[in-house]
Amino acid sequence: MTETRYSYTRLRGERVEISEILSSRIENMRKLLLGNEAIAQAAIESGVGVVCGYPGTPSTEILETAARLKADAPNLYIEWSTNEKAAVEVAAGAAYSGVRVLVTMKQVGLNVASDPVMCLSYIGVKGGMVIVVADDPGPISSQTEQDTRHFAEYAHIPVLDPSSPEEAYLMTKAAFLMSQRLGKPVILRPTTKVCHASATIQIAEYRIQNIEDRYSPLRGEHCDDLKDLHRELPAGAPRFVKDPRWVIFPPLAYRRHNEIAEMLQKESESATEFDKFYNEHSRYGIAAGGVTWAILNDVLIDLDVIISRLKIGRPHPAPLRLADTFLAETECVLVLEELDPVIEDILISRKGVIGRDIQIMGKRSGFVSHAGELLYADIKKYVCDFLGLSNHDNEEDLIAAPDCTPVRAPVLCAGCPHRASFYAVKTAAKGKNPIYCGDIGCYTLGNAKPLETTDTCLCMGAGITIAQGIKHSNPDTTVFGFIGDSTFFASGITGLANAVYNNVDVNIIILDNRITAMTGGQPHPGTGKTMMNTDSPPIDIEAVVKALGVGFVKKCNPFDQVSAVETVKSAVDFNGTSVVIFEAPCINLIKKPKLYTVEGCIGCMRCVNEIGCPSIFVEDKTAKINSDLCYGCGLCQYVCKAGKIKEVTL
Amino acid sequence: MNIVISGVGGQGTILASKILAEAAKQSGAEFVRTGETIGMSQRGGSVLSFLREGNISSPYIQKGGADLLLSFELCEGARNLPYLKKGGNAVINTAKIKPLSVSLGNAVYDEAAITGYINENSSATFIDAEKIAVSLGNAKCINIVMLGAAFGKGFLNFGKETLIEAIKSTVKPQFTELNINAFEKGIEATEL
Ligand code: SF4
Ligand code: SF4
Repeated sequence: MTETRYSYTRLRGERVEISEILSSRIENMRKLLLGNEAIAQAAIESGVGVVCGYPGTPSTEILETAARLKADAPNLYIEWSTNEKAAVEVAAGAAYSGVRVLVTMKQVGLNVASDPVMCLSYIGVKGGMVIVVADDPGPISSQTEQDTRHFAEYAHIPVLDPSSPEEAYLMTKAAFLMSQRLGKPVILRPTTKVCHASATIQIAEYRIQNIEDRYSPLRGEHCDDLKDLHRELPAGAPRFVKDPRWVIFPPLAYRRHNEIAEMLQKESESATEFDKFYNEHSRYGIAAGGVTWAILNDVLIDLDVIISRLKIGRPHPAPLRLADTFLAETECVLVLEELDPVIEDILISRKGVIGRDIQIMGKRSGFVSHAGELLYADIKKYVCDFLGLSNHDNEEDLIAAPDCTPVRAPVLCAGCPHRASFYAVKTAAKGKNPIYCGDIGCYTLGNAKPLETTDTCLCMGAGITIAQGIKHSNPDTTVFGFIGDSTFFASGITGLANAVYNNVDVNIIILDNRITAMTGGQPHPGTGKTMMNTDSPPIDIEAVVKALGVGFVKKCNPFDQVSAVETVKSAVDFNGTSVVIFEAPCINLIKKPKLYTVEGCIGCMRCVNEIGCPSIFVEDKTAKINSDLCYGCGLCQYVCKAGKIKEVTL
Repeated sequence: MNIVISGVGGQGTILASKILAEAAKQSGAEFVRTGETIGMSQRGGSVLSFLREGNISSPYIQKGGADLLLSFELCEGARNLPYLKKGGNAVINTAKIKPLSVSLGNAVYDEAAITGYINENSSATFIDAEKIAVSLGNAKCINIVMLGAAFGKGFLNFGKETLIEAIKSTVKPQFTELNINAFEKGIEATEL
């Protein structure tokens, strides 16, 4: 007889049975993991077979970690797809075949992927499908503060909202089970402060969650018979089973719509292990979700306040009975959540259903701000205002903020090829008062002084297309559209086809730095590398552009300023869509080739004011180069008309 | 213990917080959490890392909540000083990285005012970690010099061996020796 063992899980605050088989693995499985790493770890432990995504802060490290853990999952297929839509579709095909799949993206990526995601909600999946969509309250590195919980509701897809890295770990596992049980994709929606926080996580301890899970990654199916669990399917046996359910037609969509509504209704009757009502029998109560829940608990401990709390871990379908019980016990409720008032709206509607006169304070009532993160200080202030506590107790204990610190905005790296490209375009277009349409990538930083070569930026791929609309309405103006290499593959090609076919006289500048740089350096179809560690013939951007029929196509090195400027000038002179490809690698791909230094500066400050390289600084009214930061690109030497900038060989 | 590490993108604040977290874990801390504000930091923006251990739910430290502030750059030290508890400890690198706004004349980097502010509001230890790192032949190890200095001042609750083990298990193997040297030099700098 096997002896039963127990272990205390900190997160759930309860004892959990651990079977004898697993107890041997417990030693040393306490790992310090980033939220994103925890998600990847949990997916691998859940037997995920396909991982795809498109890079985007704060989600990028999930897929990168999965690639690192590939040794633990020899059958894993992993790719950075060309964009989020492709990622979801590739994953869907695998999930139709019974394979468990993970898709990763940031919140704006979900906009790109929304077409397949909306339809997949009707069609459903066979293998568990977890779509991780990282939201970015703040926003810290995004264009919008959209709330994926709302998107999930709109798409009729369940969504889990982790409050910490360890919960992200548990929820990922639960999401696979949920997806498999419901036959639908499930969204996991961590936010920046979960993705980029790390915590010591008991991996082995949490593995118990999988005892019940009889999914076999080898067979791509759920095994009722334990014996099958470790047996592969016979060689060559297809996993995909033909069935009319995989073809979306209006009558099917109609039928599924009703089924899904019923299914979600039924789900909402029960709560998950991540939803909880901590009943302290107080008249006042606080409801929260996501990282706000974690910070709230710290605030309450610091304030020494004991109060009833409702935690929502699955905002859709919301645990209605649990919400009702919470409301039945309270008279006045504060709702704290980042982004949209999702939990608040659930409570407002339940209040109507149960017919109790409860005051609900949140974003709808104007009590809590709609935009931005909820930091410790904000949460503390809201809690104090809500409970009528004074919040000034430690004012005199705080160090006053300084007024002498200069702002430090992000800038293009010293030696970045984009700086040279922007400068060449600017020089070529001098006197023309052009309009510069930018795009998403490091090169969005081209908007800053002194370059100021980004007048618009909307979303991935919009530089090329916005330029066309501007040209139609400003026919006498020179219009440039900028796009990076990864963005070109993600969503630039269609926009370029639009320009060529409609013969719009815009000048498209492709900034090809050979990598997806903004998110830390991921391969794309132009790089020749894949996430499976294989080489693939790179797709030649120039050939693609030519194949689209663009009449003027030239490739050149932006650091060769003389010819770069000439090339842009002829592109502008060309009547019709023109494309210049500036090709030079991101500095993170190359070793520092040499250094530059200033000797006998005459103090004209041209190098400082023209190009804004962060390694050039001013001391005693002369320009100096920080030899640590300088990456030896030589642009400043071209700019210095006095010839005072010298090359130093390393 | 609550630690805030501040610096400029590329200075290795995240690696430093990883090492401290690893050391805390190895010395038996029940729970360790770290949090970063990275975002666009890679392009030379301000970066901030938080490290907490103990019975807490979130890694984010509020203003006035840090026991220790390590700043890898001077004005970032001033910017983030309000995170420090009154009477808390601080180690600040005196090396300056001037933001572009300063070179362009849109902002000023007033070293005297910045140092004055720090001294007025704390009893921070200043060290020229950059000079030490450069003397070791690699300015990239400023972060480890700073950890050494914090340890040398007695601001870290870990044993020296634990920290060295944490460095070894965190940095790339080819940089282990350099980083251990940097750590020792950081300690020495506080003994002068
Ligand atoms: S990471 Fe590369 S592309 Fe981005 S700013 Fe730096 S050099 Fe330029
Ligand atoms: S060569 Fe000049 S422009 Fe290029 S990185 Fe060095 S200082 Fe900056």
